[in-house]
Parts: sequence; structure tokens; C-alpha cells
Amino acid sequence: MGLGSIASRALRSNTLRPGHTNLLRRSIVTTTELRNAEAAQAQPETPPPDLPPRTPVAGARVHFPNPEDAIEVFVDGYPVKIPKGMTVLQACEIAGVDIPRFCYHSRLSIAGNCRMCLVEVEKSPKPVASCAMPALPGMKIKTDTPLAKKAREGVMEFLLMNHPLDCPICDQGGECDLQDQSMAFGSDRGRFTETKRSVVDKNLGPLVKTVMTRCIQCTRCVRFATEIAGVQDLGMLGRGSGEEIGTYVEKLMTSELSGNVIDICPVGALTSKPFAFKARNWELKGTESIDVTDAVGSNIRIDSRGPEVMRVVPRLNEDINEEWISDKTRFFYDGLKRQRLNDPMIRGPDGRFKAVSWRDALAVVAEVIHQVKADEIVGVAGKLSDAESMMALKDFLNKMGSNNVLCEGNGPNPNADLRSGYIMNTSISGLENADVFLLVGTQPRVEAAMVNARIRKTVRATQAKVGYVGPATDLNYDHEHLGTGPQTLSEIAKGSHPFSSTLMNAKNPCIIVGAGIFERDDKDAIFSVVEAIAERAKAVRPDWNGMNVLLLNAAQAAALDLGLVPESDKGIESSKFIYLMGADDVNLEKIPEDAFVVYQGHHGDRSVYRANVILPASAFSEKEGTYVNTEGCAQTTVPAVPTVGDARDDWKIVRALSEVAGVILPYDSLSAIRSRMKTVAPNLVNVDEREPATFSYSLKPESQQKISTTPFKAAVENFYMTDPITRASKVMAQCSALLSKK
Amino acid sequence: MAHMMRNLKVQPNSTSLEEARKRTFDFFRMACRSIPSIMDIYNLQDVVAPSELRSSVAAQIRKNSHVSNPKVIDMLLFKAMEELKDIVDHSKQRHHIIGQYVVGNKGQVQDLGTKDEGNSEFLKNFYTTNYF
Ligand code: SF4
Ligand code: FES
Repeated sequence: MGLGSIASRALRSNTLRPGHTNLLRRSIVTTTELRNAEAAQAQPETPPPDLPPRTPVAGARVHFPNPEDAIEVFVDGYPVKIPKGMTVLQACEIAGVDIPRFCYHSRLSIAGNCRMCLVEVEKSPKPVASCAMPALPGMKIKTDTPLAKKAREGVMEFLLMNHPLDCPICDQGGECDLQDQSMAFGSDRGRFTETKRSVVDKNLGPLVKTVMTRCIQCTRCVRFATEIAGVQDLGMLGRGSGEEIGTYVEKLMTSELSGNVIDICPVGALTSKPFAFKARNWELKGTESIDVTDAVGSNIRIDSRGPEVMRVVPRLNEDINEEWISDKTRFFYDGLKRQRLNDPMIRGPDGRFKAVSWRDALAVVAEVIHQVKADEIVGVAGKLSDAESMMALKDFLNKMGSNNVLCEGNGPNPNADLRSGYIMNTSISGLENADVFLLVGTQPRVEAAMVNARIRKTVRATQAKVGYVGPATDLNYDHEHLGTGPQTLSEIAKGSHPFSSTLMNAKNPCIIVGAGIFERDDKDAIFSVVEAIAERAKAVRPDWNGMNVLLLNAAQAAALDLGLVPESDKGIESSKFIYLMGADDVNLEKIPEDAFVVYQGHHGDRSVYRANVILPASAFSEKEGTYVNTEGCAQTTVPAVPTVGDARDDWKIVRALSEVAGVILPYDSLSAIRSRMKTVAPNLVNVDEREPATFSYSLKPESQQKISTTPFKAAVENFYMTDPITRASKVMAQCSALLSKK
Repeated sequence: MAHMMRNLKVQPNSTSLEEARKRTFDFFRMACRSIPSIMDIYNLQDVVAPSELRSSVAAQIRKNSHVSNPKVIDMLLFKAMEELKDIVDHSKQRHHIIGQYVVGNKGQVQDLGTKDEGNSEFLKNFYTTNYF
């Protein structure tokens, strides 16, 4: 809730106040009409002057599922049409009145226990809690009356009675709902002089810091944990003034979404532990960017101070991450400050790295690349590469005569021809329409936490059934573990498995295949079995496409869009020159002894130990790059902080190297490389728009492979450490030590 | 050092190159001795090492190594002394010192070698900065 709107409303009402009688009297209640609410109310109602048109709060929109169900209510005399079943609070929001609230949250169930949202409703004897009261036709809601104000003042006074006065040392200060609302709606003094109660702080793990004395028992965190995160860790203990939020037993909060309780806690009771006392929120510069730790592409805001990333918070995007982000996204940023490469380096004959100038480093690389045969050159793009740099790398190596450019995680022979074969065709928000899920070799909870939250939301809302094929795992919703290997799939395809009838009877079946399967030798065979299942279940129809691939890394989809497909699958083993662009998860053992390895990247991670030349590049928080998420939506990052040391943007390095090597690439600016990308994959420049795939499976040639009996493997072993940045992060290391399930 | 410099007078001119040379060394020593207190005054511990400042002073002197007229040397020494006094008296601020003596030699001198000839504008920019 914007402080501005609250404050302006408070000011507006102040001017109405006739308060000249008691200017010098120090009474507890300052407004005379509040002391005499009934009398003030009894005054004859003046007909409302012509009302200015109001805009709904925060652009709230109404969706009428059924036009007959629209009802009309009056908010402060202003008529609004709303669908049946909305609450009074929502009606006020549509009428453009922001009701103060603490416990109500639009994505959580309604608790109605803070009483801050009290409004007056005509003919009701008492003020009502608007968040819990359904709006009825013809209801006359008054939000600005003395009675409502008195009620808010009273609630505020009770809340502040036990709230410590530690705003100056509280991390929430400046973005605290309690602070804002007590400025706008509170009384200017309290009547309670007893000592405040205090509550023992709870240990919720390395991410969430608790100062439980500040808690106002709104239970948002409890509802978030049980409803969205799906862990029953948090709860309410005790009664009355002994009421406390806590874990029932001494226990850490083990959810991959636990960081979101920091955002939803309206006070400073739950704050970020890594961010504690690091900065004040008003000195931070926010940059709207994209997360790259998984293939979901969650929308984030990077808050920085000077050259340092101070924290990461989510941004609202209903189609991708709603308003949540995973813990990895929220807390991995400290990895951006450690283990960074800041100078070009060459490994000397003694095996040690020596810092050199860009000129020398590029000259060495250019010289070596001309000494090897064209088909011995291999380029590998890493998990975090942006589309621009992959385009440049592919163009550069093609000009050198090599066609061996691949992207980590896409496996030895990816299918890049049919876009529907590697993206999530249903789209992330479309998952909510599915009624049966079949998860094939994927553990969405660790591979893409936000997709998992969507599935959980669907399962909770519509009791959708979930079948899972893969190694035993812990999904936080009801699911049926069908089997561990591909044989189960063949059984489902043949119809001999009990789950196939569930799938057959589903209206909108949804099959999600994990990208871990890309690494398997029998990948094509598995895909044709899955397609057979989709065929039987009628999962691909003109009005519904339920055939999905859940990718693992931020770079994967763009790499396939750009056609980063290796020519031969023995590329790396027989290479003499390997260009690793941020690729740290390639099997270093496969690289021949005598190969010359160039590592371009931002972190001194695994591949650096094998590299001959290091070219420092900028991380995603420092450059402008295009990423395509698993549902095929292209989004761009925006530089939030300057680059470290002498690092350069990835595509610029490749462009410069191409010139030194004498095969100059024809683009000098970001817009030029983007127009080159447009000729290869037009969807990459349609930023923020999801481009659905056009062709479907029927066009694909039959595969001749046999499925093997090897069971599926987990694609992500450690949720908290999947890429160079998260591996460099101390917080992620603590998390994986304390929280990963053994 | 400050007390030594407080009472400085303009000395009579050096009579010979020998004497001017000796005065130059005296100045260099004085500058070197004031480096620790300069580091303190301007809080330079984390940006530069004393040895780097020493070589920066030496480089400034060497820049004029071709001068052989004792009168000119005296004049240059006078200016150098003035500068040193300003620094020791804290008449300057931290960024002056950093700009002139810490990044100065590398950051401000342009590399005008012939090796970049024939390179595109892009590559020339690339070698200097990431932001273009
Ligand atoms: S900790 Fe925060 S979110 Fe949880 S009940 Fe207390 S005030 Fe509400
Ligand atoms: S917001 Fe309505 S009772 Fe808390």
C-alpha cells in the first residue's frame, strides 16, 4: 500500500476537522468529533458533491465471470459494480479507496484477525472487518466516517501497545506497513503505560531473521507457509497475550520459498538475515531485472547501493512468478561479490596465472585458434549465458569454420528444430487450468520452484491429480509415485497402468518432462513414448497444449532458439581448442590433455582450474542481456551495478576477439547484435512476450531408438548450488549445509 | 616533517649542477619521509602502498631528468616543495592525491602506441573500457 495515498487521504480528512476548541488541551483523543462519534453520525447527511472519478487502487481490475452476477455497492456514496462474492475490501479497492490492513493478503486465505480494515456499513450496528465481509447488493460502505476513523485509531493503539519502539534499528523501517499506517491512521499518543510484553526470538534458519517481539499476530506468515509454501512449519502458539508465532518444535523452516515471508510480514518481525543491518531501504537503487538461477526467469528487482548488490526482491508478474521468488533467487546475490575474475589472465609455463592486458590476452587466443584445425574448435555456452553472447559465439566459431557450438544442459543432440519440443507449451500460468499432471523425470520443487508453486496452487484449488515418474522425491502436494524408470512410461502409453485411465479421463491433461532427460542416450525414445501418451490422453489439441518440457537453466531455451547444436557428439573429446563461455558444468575430464582452453566468465569456478586463458566477463547484474525462460518468454536483464575490475560484457569480448583473429563480426552495438538475433530467432527480440510454438509433434520423424531401463536421475542434486554464482555464495553454502535434505 | 617545512625560505640559487643534484636528493628524501604521514592524513592505506607513492615521486622527478640548468632545477624543486607542503598541510583532499599520484600515471597518460592502428573504433574502445 502506497504511503502517499494513505497520507493524502489522512490529510484530506484533517482539513475537514473543526478542531479549534481544544488546541491547547492535551487530551488523549484529539479529534472532537471522534469523542462523540454517534452525535457526529447523526448529523443530517449532506448529499455528496459531484464525485471525482476514482481510479482503482494499484490498477485493480474486475473480471466478471458471469455478467448476471454483478452487484452494485456504494463506497462513500460512489457506486461500483462488482462480481458477486467479492469482499467489502475488494469493492473498496475497485472504488479507489485503499483500506488499511495487516492480515489481509490477496493471495492468502482470509483470517480477519487484525481488525485494521474496519469500515462502517449502513444499518450494521458495529463497524465491520471489510476483508472478511462479503459485499451484498446495495450495501452502503463508508470508509471515511468518524466512526471508522475512531475504530482504526483504536486498533492501532492496541497494536502499538505491545510493539517495541525500535524503528531506528529495525530493518523494516521505511517500508513497514505498521509505520506507514500508524502515521496515517493512528492516534498521536497511546494510553498504555504498562511494560510491553516480549517474545523469545525463533531460529528459522540462515535466511529469515526473527524479532518476535515486533510481531502483531497477523498470521500472514503462517498462512503463507501452509498454503503457498506447503510446509507445516510455522504456527500460532498460546492464547491471548501469550500468543506467539513459532515453529511447534525446535526446527528450521525448510521451504524453498521461505524468503517470501520477509516480504509479506507487515512489520519487522521477519526480516532477511543476510541483509540485516546492511543498508536502509531508502538509500538503495532499484533496478528491474530478471533472475537467472533457474529457467523460470522470475522478475526481480535488484537493490544496489553504489557498486554493490544489497538485496534482491520479487517483482509482480502474474504470468511467471506472481509475487514470490525462490530462496535461491533471493539470497544468492552475495555470490556476486566473491571469487570474481577481474583481469584477463594467461597461465604461464609454471602453471600459475599471470594478469595481462586485454590486448595480450586476445592476441594469444587469436594466435592459438588459427593453429588448430577448424573441426577441432568447440564452443560451450554456460548456464547463465545471455542470448546476445551465444549469438556472437556461434557466429564467431562459424566464421572460424567450426560448427561445434553447444549449450550446457542441452545434451549431446538436442532437438532445436521444433520449438514445441523444448518449451513449456502450456505456459506457467496455464498450468492452473490443468486437471491431471504427469511429471516425467522432473522434480519441479528443486528444478523450478516457481513452477512447483503453480502446480501446488492448482492442486490445492482444484484437487488436480499428480502422477510422478522419477526417483523418490519430496513434492509438497499430494502425488502418486508411479515408478522410477522409463518402463512405467511405456506401461502408461500402452494403457496397462492404472494412471493411464486417470490421464485419459482428464479434461486438460498436462505432461511435464524434465530437461534432465536431455542428457540421456535414449532421449528420443523417451520423447516418443511421452508423445504417445500425449496422443492417447489428447493432451495436444487446438485449444489446449499439455505437452511441456521444463528446462533447468536460464540459457537453455535461447540457445535452442538460436540453434546452438553441436555437429558431432564427440566434439569435446576430440577438440584442440575449447572456448568455454561461462561453462562450469562440463565434464573437465573429457577435455583432452593437449587442448587449449579459454574460459570466459565472471567467477573463478570449476573450469578455471583447467583454463589456459581467462577472459573476465560481467555477471547478469552488470549487463544487458536477453534470456528466454522455460515457457518461451524473452526478457532482458538491466545493469544494476558496474562491472568488476577490467571485465567486459560477454558479447563484446567475442566481438573483439573476432577482430583480433581477423574474422570481424559485423555488429558493434547491442542493437546491431539484436537485429542479427532477430534474423535467426525473431522471438528473442519480442521482449516480455511469450511466443508460443507454432508446430506440434506430428511433424517429427519417428525415432529408431530403444528405451533403456535405467531409472531417471535427479537433475538437480543441490537446490541451493547450481551455477557459478550460487556456488560462490556463502549464504547458499550455509543453506545447503543446514537445509538440504540428506 | 611539517615543522621542518614550516620555516623554509627560498634558498640562494645553486652554484653548480652538483649542488642542484644534492638538493634534489634532499628533496626526495624529505618527500619519502613524509609519505607515512601522508598515508595517514589522506587515509590511503587501502588504495596504495608506500612504495608505490615513492616510485610515483621518483617518476615525477625523472620526468624532468633532461633539465641541466641549475636555475631551472632550483625552480622545479621550489615548485615541488610547494606541492609537498600543500600535501603535508592537508591543503589538498583525498581525491587530489589519488587522482594525481595513485591512478595518475596509469590513468591519465594515453597509450598512443602504433599497435592500435588499423583497429576498428569498437576494438579501441573495448581496450579502454566496458562502457561505450
Ligand atoms: S511474524 Fe509477521 S507475518 Fe507472521 S504473524 Fe507476526 S507480523 Fe504477521
Ligand atoms: S485486514 Fe481485515 S481483519 Fe486484518
